[in-house]
Amino acid sequence: MADGHGSSRSPASPNGGGSHESGGDQSPRSNVREQDRFLPIANISRIMKKALPANGKIAKDAKETVQECVSEFISFITSEASDKCQREKRKTINGDDLLWAMATLGFEDYIEPLKVYLARYREGDSKGTAKAADGSSKRDGMQPGPNSQLAHQGSFSQGMNYVNSQGQHMMVPMQGTD
Amino acid sequence: MRQAGAYSGILSRKTGPHSLPLARIKKIMKKSSDDVKMISGEAPIIFSKACELFIEELTKKAWIIMTKNNNLYEKKRRSTLHKEDVASAIIATDVFDFLVTLVTHDDNKVVIGHIKK
Repeated sequence: MADGHGSSRSPASPNGGGSHESGGDQSPRSNVREQDRFLPIANISRIMKKALPANGKIAKDAKETVQECVSEFISFITSEASDKCQREKRKTINGDDLLWAMATLGFEDYIEPLKVYLARYREGDSKGTAKAADGSSKRDGMQPGPNSQLAHQGSFSQGMNYVNSQGQHMMVPMQGTD
Repeated sequence: MRQAGAYSGILSRKTGPHSLPLARIKKIMKKSSDDVKMISGEAPIIFSKACELFIEELTKKAWIIMTKNNNLYEKKRRSTLHKEDVASAIIATDVFDFLVTLVTHDDNKVVIGHIKK
């Protein structure tokens, strides 16, 4: 009752710590079920710690509660977004549906940071692919790479390189004559 | 202990900057309703950040409640967050109403006992 904190968590409770404690490496069966229902507790714990002052500690039962809450949060938002899609006769839940659902359900404070995050992600993503493309075309020029990617793009980017280098060669004398 | 699934090859490259696994988020989304059939690639990415914000908010509120309770009732100051603090934060916050049944369901008495104490 009103005695300790956490120590009163009943080991017999069906939804209690029992299933979490057995969620280790030894019991693959319960592990699979955990994987379907929850996000990894280590990730959740890391995010929780970031939110607390340096001296703050977190009991296992608090982590497990937050873990359950996060899954519930995802379901709550997804259901609302899914209803909207059904009303509008669309099959795919997209990012805007989720943002709309969050705003509708009282999480409007999340919208701005999420938009910033998404914009940054898109930017990073396009930079990443541009870099990768650069890298592969350079490698193309240097050596006939055994890379599996080259099997698809090799001839194309080699062709591009060829055109580029020709273009450069042609540029030089033209600049010189000017 | 990730199992190599159909998407692991595609997703593993993208899990880098996100603090929560996208494949797992997608699974939980699909489980939330039978009507959820298709999910855009952006949706789990949005959730990875949204869940982070959600966890931070819930944890901070729980911590504030714990410190208040410390000042009011506890002889010895606690610096460890417990389930009851998370439950109290949920009960005290309107936007977390959808979680109330989850935290009052199994050990109702503990939660109420802690608040009254």
